[in-house]
Amino acid sequence: MIPFELLEPRTLPEALGMLADDDTAVRPIGGGTALMLMMKASVFVPRRLVSLRGLGEALGRIELDAEGALCLGGTATLAALEASDLVRAHAPVITRALPHLSNVRVRHVATVGGALAHADPHMDLPTILAALDARVRIAGPAGHRTLPVDELITGYYETALARNEIITGVTIPAASAGKAAYIKCTTRAADDWPALGVAVNLACSAGRIDAARVVIGAATDKPTRVSGAEAALRGATFSGSTLDHAVTEAVRDAVAREVAYTSDAQGSAAYKRQLARVHIVRTLTAALEG
Amino acid sequence: MDTKVSPDQVIDAQQVGRSVPRMEGAAKVTGRAEYIHNLRLPGVLHGKVFRSRIAHGRILSIDTSAARAVAGVHSVVTGEDIRRIIPEPYYGPAFHDQPILALDKVRYVGEPVAAVLAADPHVAEYAAGLITAEYEELPAVFNEVEAATSSICVHDELKPAITFPDLKHLKGKRNTNVALDYKLRRGDVSAAFASAAHVFEHEFHTQHIMHTPFEPFVALAEPLDDSVTIHSSSQMPAYVRLEIARLLGWPENKVRARTAYLGGGFGAKVYVKIEPLVVALALLARRPVKMSLTMEEQFYVIGKHATTFRIKSAITADGRIAARKCEVFWNGGAYADIGPRVSQKSGFTSTGPYQIECAEIDSAEIYTNLPPAGAFRGFGIPQLVWAYESHTDIIARALKIDPLEFRRRNILHDGQEHPTGTVMRDAEFDEVLVRIAARMGWDAPFDRGTGTKRRGRGIAIGVKASIAPTTSFALVNVSADGSAVLFCNTIDMGQASNTANAQLVAEVLGIPAERVKVTQADTDVTPFDMGTLGSRSMFHMGHAVRLAAEHARTQLEALCAEGGLTYTGEQSVAQAFRKKFGMQAGNIFGVGHYTSRYQPADPATGMSKEVTPFWMIGGTGIELEVDTETGHVTILRMVNVVDAGRAINPRVVETQISGAALMQLGQTMTEEMVFSSAGELTNPSLAYYKIPGIHDMPATIENEAVEAETRNGPFGSKGVGESGTFGVSPAIANAIDDAVGVRLYSLPLTPESIYRAICAARGEPLED
Repeated sequence: MIPFELLEPRTLPEALGMLADDDTAVRPIGGGTALMLMMKASVFVPRRLVSLRGLGEALGRIELDAEGALCLGGTATLAALEASDLVRAHAPVITRALPHLSNVRVRHVATVGGALAHADPHMDLPTILAALDARVRIAGPAGHRTLPVDELITGYYETALARNEIITGVTIPAASAGKAAYIKCTTRAADDWPALGVAVNLACSAGRIDAARVVIGAATDKPTRVSGAEAALRGATFSGSTLDHAVTEAVRDAVAREVAYTSDAQGSAAYKRQLARVHIVRTLTAALEG
Repeated sequence: MDTKVSPDQVIDAQQVGRSVPRMEGAAKVTGRAEYIHNLRLPGVLHGKVFRSRIAHGRILSIDTSAARAVAGVHSVVTGEDIRRIIPEPYYGPAFHDQPILALDKVRYVGEPVAAVLAADPHVAEYAAGLITAEYEELPAVFNEVEAATSSICVHDELKPAITFPDLKHLKGKRNTNVALDYKLRRGDVSAAFASAAHVFEHEFHTQHIMHTPFEPFVALAEPLDDSVTIHSSSQMPAYVRLEIARLLGWPENKVRARTAYLGGGFGAKVYVKIEPLVVALALLARRPVKMSLTMEEQFYVIGKHATTFRIKSAITADGRIAARKCEVFWNGGAYADIGPRVSQKSGFTSTGPYQIECAEIDSAEIYTNLPPAGAFRGFGIPQLVWAYESHTDIIARALKIDPLEFRRRNILHDGQEHPTGTVMRDAEFDEVLVRIAARMGWDAPFDRGTGTKRRGRGIAIGVKASIAPTTSFALVNVSADGSAVLFCNTIDMGQASNTANAQLVAEVLGIPAERVKVTQADTDVTPFDMGTLGSRSMFHMGHAVRLAAEHARTQLEALCAEGGLTYTGEQSVAQAFRKKFGMQAGNIFGVGHYTSRYQPADPATGMSKEVTPFWMIGGTGIELEVDTETGHVTILRMVNVVDAGRAINPRVVETQISGAALMQLGQTMTEEMVFSSAGELTNPSLAYYKIPGIHDMPATIENEAVEAETRNGPFGSKGVGESGTFGVSPAIANAIDDAVGVRLYSLPLTPESIYRAICAARGEPLED
């Protein structure tokens, strides 16, 4: 590692002013858990890092907005999410997933914004947020904009962010709070990035699924919604945590057919497809069990 | 040392067999224990290495100009520069084949080609990244079976070191990658196969593994007027001194090698590793030089042999093993290190712990264009047990004989001859099997699970010989107040050897173990020891320490008698010294040494009447559950039982058993160095090379050392650092077979490999 400039702005406009849109060696840094690994491996050699840590007052909050939507600040740490009563009340699927999502040391520094901006497909949080229909709040020199999570991440380590933009937070609409579940499946040690992540979010009324969001992550280049599975679930009835056999078969089929699985060190595409077929049913069961 | 324990508290009470708390425990948990990693010297330069990016090639040129131009760089050193101080800069315990920095050729991706020195390690690292080299690329060979007969040769000529007389005949051999081919020939194997009721033949594979000590390789060399001091995280300071002295052409007493506590070794830090380079850099720079490898760089230093093992057994109608043929190919990588010793000293146990009248073993160390492989906790035994205990289980199941019963029918007993010709002594094989079975309730009904969760159980047992002959020396210094210090070169790298050795001194002197101090190894003061490896120290150093303490006690008793006193431990000694010298002055030195008995193998048959001073025995029983839809395995119960002789410190023995077994668990389930088709390691980092974590541990772990005594061992003891590894891998594979009826022949046992085997077994193979 060779010397570089580390800036610690106290305000968002100050931070935005320190970024540049034309220099790949200038980057914002949140918790640094991913970036530091890339720097140690010389995959990324910074000229300037703009630390977002000093923006915690403004960007680290977890709160409800006027419409009752859950707002997670861009620099809120994963540990803060884990401990938050608001998160537990409005998006318990996040609270339940966090203990399995990286180790406790990482969770205490890694941030919500970092997890999204890094766009490593082997992450859990983006898949969960996509199932919750979350929107990403982005600030840049031209002002503020928002994007759905599944439009922010455009591919393997690729996002729709410009180099001089910062993720200020994520908004989870109140209307999306359904029966949600996430399963992280690892294929090497238990403490690993997922080989597959499956998130479902079901809006239900009286034993019937009114709407469903089904997202596959980690086994794909980016979190991927499975529209065939969502269509099969819409209108389906359930008793207890059991769906009709025909519905689960249709969902399994859509998950296997529609999604482009990738082969890597965690498994072949064919094996990940099988894992997805199995875990989509297990995730649905977990969601319906609540 | 615990000075709160009163000097006369435990006179003549038993010190051996007591679970004395680790002497270094408090210092380690409070961060006060000394590690070379933390050592800082004024004026030190840091060395960083530029490594080969190709697997095999002739060096045409090395361009170091950009690195030299970096502000803060002291110097850049290549292999040719090293020749200025070491004309023949090749090292290695078995073969002098490894250049300190590459000369003429590179032989694996990651081989050190040049080194940069700078006061700032970040500057050195940056500059090393600016070095470039041009090569004439040569074809490379990676697979051990292919390399055994390949026309692509990693070395032009074999260069055996003088250390081992039985390698002499290999000197000057050309056009081969076979560094050593051990052969055992016993009985009429062909006839036994011809008359066998059943013949079974299988091929098994193991993968490349890295030791992952949490303290990576570190060494600091300090050039003095006419000598050099090496501070190193080494399991073998005496060998470091010897090999550095040989390279420099200096007498041994001009080289001082010292260590502190090691943050793990597991066989990685035996012989020399980065020490020759650090010494050469320090002598060239005339400044102290430190090199601390990163966790990532460790993967390019030394690892565990990948193997291919072809095994074939002839079975009689009554279920006895009449003959066994073993063909083992050890992937030694580009440099031999101690690999030839692994292929021989472990190779001769390839037939397993069974009564086998006719046996044939071919165990060959093979050079390939991969990182070197050498000693690794178990010294090759886990690779062998993986194959012969999987094979043995397949035979038992095919013949519909209970796997426990089949093993007990064939297992070796005391007084019987091992296929090498050595008669078994103090080897509790049957008792180990009996205890595993008893703990598992082998005869009781077993819940086999339902639906997609199927349960199974398996057992396995293995045997290891100790490396022989080897020598240990020890020195006990009793001061005029009666307190004792033990000087020995056994390295405490987490196995609590200092505590055990203190217990031996205390037992002999009749004082509390807590009152004995044990020094860290320093070749200027601690006497010779072959090294801390292969679970040899409890036996060999244990004897040397016992003898040194006995020698001291004899003199102390005489000193007391001279003063008209009776020896009763420290206070009587203090009185006796005062009487003799008129004040608190003087020392008593007790010295002891031990060399194990050994008879070299007959070159024609590979047999020997005395192949090892003691046998290590370990077995494991596993209960597990397989998810038939994903191949995921949950280990519900792990039972590890060993013969450790008489335990000097029962609590430490238990942690050695569980530590060894859990290390092997990782190598069974998750660990694998994955190479590209060009020989590049694709996962040199703990992020991608997965060692097990707490969530990968079995739900229940039970460890037991059976009631046993090693009659020729110090206080009945023997080594136990590796025995827990032996049975783990095959016991798991056997349990998977028991659960879902599929057999796996290659490690690691990943969920995908298990799921694929399940699909193949039902005739619906999963696409690639």
